[in-house]
Amino acid sequence: MSDFKGLTEAVIKGDIQTAVAETQTALDAGANLQDILDKGLIAAMDQVGEKFSTGQMFVPQMLRSAKTMQECMKLIKPLFQEDELATKGKVVIGTVRQDLHDIGKNLVAMMMEGAGFAITDLGVDVSPKDFTQKAQEVGADIVAMSALLSTTMPAMRETIEALQEAGIRDKVKVMIGGAPVTENFASEIKADSYAPDAGSAVIAAKKLLSIS
Amino acid sequence: MPMRLPPYRPLSPEDVRKIDQTSRRILERVGIRILEQSHLNILKAAGAIIDQSDQKVRFEAAWLDEILARAPSQFILYSRDGKNDVHLGKGKVYFANGGRVFRILDMGTGGYRLTMLRDVAHTATLVHCLDNISLYIIACQAHDLQPQHYHLNDFYHALNHTTKHVMGGCDSREGAEQMWELSVFIAGEEEELREKPFVSVITNPISPLTIDGNTLDILSFCCSKSIPVTCAPAPISGATAPATLAGTLCQMHAEALAGVAICQVFSPGAKVLYGAVPTTMDLRHMEYTMSSVEMAIMNGAAVQLAMIYDFPIYASGGVTEAKRPDIQSGCEKTFSNLMVAMNGADLIHLAAGMLDSGNSISYEQYVIDNEIIGMINRILSGISVNEGTLGFGVIEKVGPGGNYVMEDHTIEYMKEEFFYPDLSVRCNFDIWEERGRPSMLSRANDLVDEILDDGREGLLDTDLILEIKKKFPGIQNL
Repeated sequence: MSDFKGLTEAVIKGDIQTAVAETQTALDAGANLQDILDKGLIAAMDQVGEKFSTGQMFVPQMLRSAKTMQECMKLIKPLFQEDELATKGKVVIGTVRQDLHDIGKNLVAMMMEGAGFAITDLGVDVSPKDFTQKAQEVGADIVAMSALLSTTMPAMRETIEALQEAGIRDKVKVMIGGAPVTENFASEIKADSYAPDAGSAVIAAKKLLSIS
Repeated sequence: MPMRLPPYRPLSPEDVRKIDQTSRRILERVGIRILEQSHLNILKAAGAIIDQSDQKVRFEAAWLDEILARAPSQFILYSRDGKNDVHLGKGKVYFANGGRVFRILDMGTGGYRLTMLRDVAHTATLVHCLDNISLYIIACQAHDLQPQHYHLNDFYHALNHTTKHVMGGCDSREGAEQMWELSVFIAGEEEELREKPFVSVITNPISPLTIDGNTLDILSFCCSKSIPVTCAPAPISGATAPATLAGTLCQMHAEALAGVAICQVFSPGAKVLYGAVPTTMDLRHMEYTMSSVEMAIMNGAAVQLAMIYDFPIYASGGVTEAKRPDIQSGCEKTFSNLMVAMNGADLIHLAAGMLDSGNSISYEQYVIDNEIIGMINRILSGISVNEGTLGFGVIEKVGPGGNYVMEDHTIEYMKEEFFYPDLSVRCNFDIWEERGRPSMLSRANDLVDEILDDGREGLLDTDLILEIKKKFPGIQNL
């Protein structure tokens, strides 16, 4: 079976139910795992990216497609040998201490997940200690922090210091973002990267881990 | 755009009645001066009172009503492809660009120059591609033409660059005839054009209370051929009309009714738009002011006056005195376009492209105004309230603390609920810097380049173009 038209269409539409059913059908028919991934799911996401860049699709639709792909991946992933399918990288993400704003952070998390990163979302009001512990626990490649308030921005610096004290600062890359955050602030607190929006966050994360 | 909002009404019903009565008194007692004996004779034969000594026609009330009753309350300004027909008198608001300027702000050089024939083709292409401008008005004088071939060329190049309805001013009956002959040729049959006229003609009386013979010749010709017309008074409050808004409206209403009535004498049932271009004079230095807020209110009020008689209106909005697309042009244009639209005018002309008190245009201003009109259309369509839009189901599903980004409800409604601008800069600061600090104007400039790069070729069939050029040797190439 080499035709994944039904699957790609369902992923583009963000129709989770149909896409999962199509994936199962392909698996039952004995289709090649790598083909389902490459010719079905990734091919669909390529079209989604294309439609998004020409304005035919909006962010919610792109996120839905990404989520649809993730749901299909849940069926495929266990069938791969452990070293056959690597995630792009492990990301621990959250809104910093005393800040409860999470829409921007959620968008970044969803976009990164759609792009193939393994996301651990710690939610809002995340203390430096919690960021550090979780990063150690999962062996994070990236710690991503968000702040909407200028008053909570200092917590980003404290989190970086906590990573240092725990001795893992050289093992993780730190990304920051949020309305008041700037490139300058990022270099001032010695974060590794700053992204102004969710789309750029994905690009920045890939760059940090040197993946295309 | 169909209106959902309750209309804005600057005049109370009592105000409307008083203005209308005063206008009728003007028509009955003061009259309209007609500078051509043959037309006075026609009007006399039709039952008007003629003051031969000072060449005036007066409209006795009962006769006026009888004549006005012949005018249609609805008609269509047809597009050639049926995709952009303008349905007048149906409660929809349409916008058109403005016409016959002589200067253009050229973004290539940053300076002003005289307009040329190519500017007619380019502005027609812009209107053809801009969704919120429903018909094309011949935008400018082609200074590279001999006057005897103005209208043949204007209309030919306009019709070759847009399938939307084309409206234009004509200088003479000969000009109107050229336009008509060309249009018949393109339509294939005279009857075709009579049935579905895709061209129409703008004329103006001379305020106060005068119509010249040439204008009447053009109106008489067009009405006889079923070409829609308007005879739109442009009184200037404080100069060619009283320095009160009510007084200017009384005079304008009288002039506009006279225009409709005379066309009905020429051809009963003639398709006429009640015309309104009231403006003001800045009396501090006698500066002609098209874009005053008083202009916006008066054009809004004019809609109420046309409605008494159930005539479709050709009103004005979107003008500015600013010399460049800037803050002044943005706010002046928005005020008048929005206010007149909120009154439910059938057609708002001058709504796009204009600068410099109606003397100049800029291509960029066309696309900027298209966006302003898009926002106005969104305002007119109001807030849709129904079971689906109230959204209780999705609010319950998301609950406290979640978000709505990926919900079906969001995806179902996001396209129709919001106006998505092409030019307004909405990206955040860093991305804005990364993109080279774009502005509405720089983005308008990019869009103009994109449209004109794609759209310079003509739309008419190549064989037809050859036939037209053979039949009408006066047509010049761009």
